[in-house]
Amino acid sequence: MQTSSIHRIGRALSFRNISAIYIFIAIFVLFSLWVPETFLSGDMWKALLASQAVTAVLAVGLVLALAAGAFDLAIGTELGLGSIFVAWLIGEHGLPIVPAIVLTLLVGVVIGAINGLLVVKVKIDSFIATLGMSSVLLALIAWISSSQQILGLSKGFQSIGVTKVFGIALPFYIMIGIAAVLWYVLDCTATGRKIYATGGNIDAARLAGVPVSKVVVGSLVACGSIAALAGVLVSANLGTGDPTIGPGYLLPAFSAAFLGSTQFRSGRFNILGTVFAVYLLATGVKGLQLAGAPVWVPELFNGLALLIAVGMARFETSTERRAAVRRLLRRRDRSPVEPEREPATVAAAEK
Amino acid sequence: MEVGAGEIVALVGQNGSGKSTLVKILAGIYQSDPGSTVTFGGAGDEKASLHFIHQDLGLVGSLSTVENVSLGRPERWVSLGLLPKRREVKRAVELIADFGGSFDVTRPISELTAAERTIVALARALDGWEHTRNVLVLDEPTAALHGSEVEKLFVAVRKAAALGSGVVFISHRLDEVIELADKVVVLRDGRVIGEAERGAYGHEDLVELIAGRTAERVEQRRSPVAGMPALRVRGLCGETVRDLSLDVQHGEVLGISGVLGSGRDEICSLVFGARRPVAGALSLDGTAVHPGLAREAIKAGLGYVPANRAQEGAVMTMTVRENLTLPWLTPLRGFGGRLVRAREREEVDRWAEKIALRPADPERTIALFSGGNQQKVVLAKWLRMRPKVLLLDEPTQGVDVGAKAGVYDLIDGAAAEGSAVLMCSSDEKELATVCDRVLVLSGGRVVAELKREDLSEAALVGAGLGAVASPSQ
Repeated sequence: MQTSSIHRIGRALSFRNISAIYIFIAIFVLFSLWVPETFLSGDMWKALLASQAVTAVLAVGLVLALAAGAFDLAIGTELGLGSIFVAWLIGEHGLPIVPAIVLTLLVGVVIGAINGLLVVKVKIDSFIATLGMSSVLLALIAWISSSQQILGLSKGFQSIGVTKVFGIALPFYIMIGIAAVLWYVLDCTATGRKIYATGGNIDAARLAGVPVSKVVVGSLVACGSIAALAGVLVSANLGTGDPTIGPGYLLPAFSAAFLGSTQFRSGRFNILGTVFAVYLLATGVKGLQLAGAPVWVPELFNGLALLIAVGMARFETSTERRAAVRRLLRRRDRSPVEPEREPATVAAAEK
Repeated sequence: MEVGAGEIVALVGQNGSGKSTLVKILAGIYQSDPGSTVTFGGAGDEKASLHFIHQDLGLVGSLSTVENVSLGRPERWVSLGLLPKRREVKRAVELIADFGGSFDVTRPISELTAAERTIVALARALDGWEHTRNVLVLDEPTAALHGSEVEKLFVAVRKAAALGSGVVFISHRLDEVIELADKVVVLRDGRVIGEAERGAYGHEDLVELIAGRTAERVEQRRSPVAGMPALRVRGLCGETVRDLSLDVQHGEVLGISGVLGSGRDEICSLVFGARRPVAGALSLDGTAVHPGLAREAIKAGLGYVPANRAQEGAVMTMTVRENLTLPWLTPLRGFGGRLVRAREREEVDRWAEKIALRPADPERTIALFSGGNQQKVVLAKWLRMRPKVLLLDEPTQGVDVGAKAGVYDLIDGAAAEGSAVLMCSSDEKELATVCDRVLVLSGGRVVAELKREDLSEAALVGAGLGAVASPSQ
């Protein structure tokens, strides 16, 4: 028992499992020595935590869909639609804040449901279904906004984006709340188990009695509404509705989700790893910017970090499998009797 | 192991003895462990090459015969662009004519019959067969062939050998092996355990070599519970299954035997509802059940171990613990839908001990376990629910010999606890060992029923083949 728990802790602390934490420490030390006066300032960190909250909200929503085995390529434009729709309701129609946000979230739910039904009922691959949906949503955004920024958002609405608690803007706390709920659902409940099973092998999950269609639709609905909420946060933060804002969030969200999947839960999409990945990438980029790197360096850093992390995880998985085979062979060579043979069979064979 | 020029070497062994794995390593589909080498002897500057016909033939279903034949020869792709397609078509027609095939070579492979597909695979492997340093590897090429077609295949194989090629021939059918092979190599548990030259062995010698000293299983006398059958099937129709009716009592293990294409491989998924039956009625303990949703079937008391473990049986990316509890999470649920980890761990540890999981670590991903251990976990996940009826499709496919006994013990245990077990298998020996009663299927219909006292491997093989020789239509 004791050895197994030591084993478990060893596994948890191995470089493979939490490489992002080691990399984070390395980045932190590097920039602390390089540009200490700016990199180590508290305001810089508070701003960083808040500015990445939207990306993190979107990424954890995406994790839900990915865990269920569904790609949601429309997530960027879902955010864009949420952002423009809430601005349109408040700025052009003068709706109060609460109904405007509720309606926006409903729009996200409806779009997620359409995505889900396209995947489950019409049986279009989620990759293609959401790709098509993202184009439709772009058109919708242009139609609602006439491709113009929507101004005149109420002060109350803007306060959601800029109010600070302990020096950090509100969206950060909203993100923490959503991430906590999703972590609980995915990691601690039967529902989460069913989501992972569906994403792992949809046929085996169905045959084990998991309601896979409901799981896929539900995940895409949740993903859509979370993306719409992220859109609301963007508008509140900017103080305007910007019709061009959505697609730019797609890649960061996917990068974070995939990078996060290499952390903590070995190869499984997970909330904690994803949130951490968002801030790891942001810290690296921020450090480079403070050190005066050219404008294209952040993009390069994001791309390389993702490729290296996922590539390393793949490599580790295959070496792990090879090691398991080698162990098995060694044991066979040592003892003439296969370990798997039942005692009764062995006794009979020795007679 | 050596294969001489012009020699036909037969490779025999039980399911899971490593025959197919060897072929796949040679073909480069799997990676071998370090330290193994393959060398081609002989002089001359001709390029040595290996040609393969895999068990599943390795054809691209959506392409036509012509395209499949040309696929393995990139040098000809160049001409494909320049020359009219007619020449390719003509070549393909000639090739399949060599094996007595006469069908439309432009139709997609997926529309051909099994025998026609085997011909295409053969034609492709033997196409351009002029070199002498080639080795032809056939992995159970006769599985889908009838008697006369097998003869044609043998003629072709002998022709190839006469030209100086080495041939490796893998088969389950020992009579074929005796007829064809110059040398027999017997595999067990991935090792060569015997070699014999032509004439130095008979049918019985081979059986003994292959099976080894099979430990006598302790005969567990079960007495099926009389009365209402646990599972009653009436008039079940599927793709090949025609009007099938059967009853399974509580505590009984009913086997289904039959050659490929007899509908044997379809029954379990039809009963469970993984595939939708065309017609038929099911009842469990006298209550009618409508097959369709897996969830409903499970609720009604069915458990299903599919033949294809990686695709349908288990979620390979999840741990043993998560796989084991997946169908029935309800009793592990605590406040707010939370899974009570401690309760789950405790229960899974108990099962890991019961099924002798090796290595005994349920927190490992199931993909890292051997086939036998994976299968025991898949079985355990259903046994945990104490199903009324357990449906097993090829329960020991891809399971090594040592672990087979463990799987049989679990099946015995399930029956002893009152489950009705329906077991479809292509392994006659296994059916003869485990089952109380076996139905033999042919052309989708039951053609024979063997009771416990008449059951033997030979009787089952005989019944199955007899049915093929005289189709009951």
